[in-house]
Amino acid sequence: MVSYTMMVAQVIPIHSIGASTGRPEKPLIVKPIVCRGRRMDAAQNPLPVSGRHRTFQGKTICMPSIAEPHTVPTPTIENATRSDDALAPTYYVVCWNDPVNFMDYVTHVFMKVFGWPRQKAVKHMREVHEQGKSVLVREGAEKAEFYVHQLQGYKLQATMEPAE
Amino acid sequence: MRLLTHSKSGWRYQLSRVEAQALRSLMKLFPTTAHVAVRITQTDTDPKAAEREKLLNESLAEHREELRRKALHLMSGDRLRLQHDRYVLGIGLEDREILLQILNDIRVESWRALGQPDDLDPPANLSQDEQVHHNRMSLAGYFECNFLNLEEGREAAAED
Repeated sequence: MVSYTMMVAQVIPIHSIGASTGRPEKPLIVKPIVCRGRRMDAAQNPLPVSGRHRTFQGKTICMPSIAEPHTVPTPTIENATRSDDALAPTYYVVCWNDPVNFMDYVTHVFMKVFGWPRQKAVKHMREVHEQGKSVLVREGAEKAEFYVHQLQGYKLQATMEPAE
Repeated sequence: MRLLTHSKSGWRYQLSRVEAQALRSLMKLFPTTAHVAVRITQTDTDPKAAEREKLLNESLAEHREELRRKALHLMSGDRLRLQHDRYVLGIGLEDREILLQILNDIRVESWRALGQPDDLDPPANLSQDEQVHHNRMSLAGYFECNFLNLEEGREAAAED
């Protein structure tokens, strides 16, 4: 997506109009206009083009030459494509509760397989025990599969579930 | 059963004659059941699940065969020695992991053979086969607990 932000100024030369109507001359009014989201065509542009003359109420008025913005912001272009890794599906490695594996054993396995400190391993073991399951990690297919092999090798009931 | 020493090179446990004999018997029995296929996912949305599941079960069967080969060496004379009237089991880090995996395999497979009961206490009317599975499950659990708690109780105490 490309986004443009352009700040332009609308200049109304009141002094020439005021002179013809006999009203007192007023200072130039400059109204900032912020256009977002799309680039304006020349026809849509409310700004007078430099050096241009227009008629207003039968009078020819000279437009001030500040039509073009002095700075054109650089459009911010987001990358339209992502790498294959970013698009590849990810999986949750889930450990399920059972009544046969000891809590100390489950903690030991988590520490061995994931290299976690005891505190983190105990936290996940408690989740398994109290909530029936614990999401251990979120990984790409290959790594998730590796962890499931490791955990099942220790006879824990582990599966990989699509993350999305 | 008690932990004698623990260093970076390994562990030394002291076992009674009865404990040593029971541990040897369990190791010789492994694997107590045939490999039971496991599922790799609980959802059926992944088109590659069948292929992954096949690979997982092949890998687990190979792993079990490897454990069976190692189980025989674990109880060999240089690891389990009689000293006076007690046995001393000396094992390294890798041996201990293998020992734990074998014991837990026996425990879990015996539990499966019993029909995966929620209550692990033996019911009154067990058949002879069920009694055998129950005894194996309990015995494997006894050793597993001791190997884990004797060491990890010490680690936890050190962390506190």
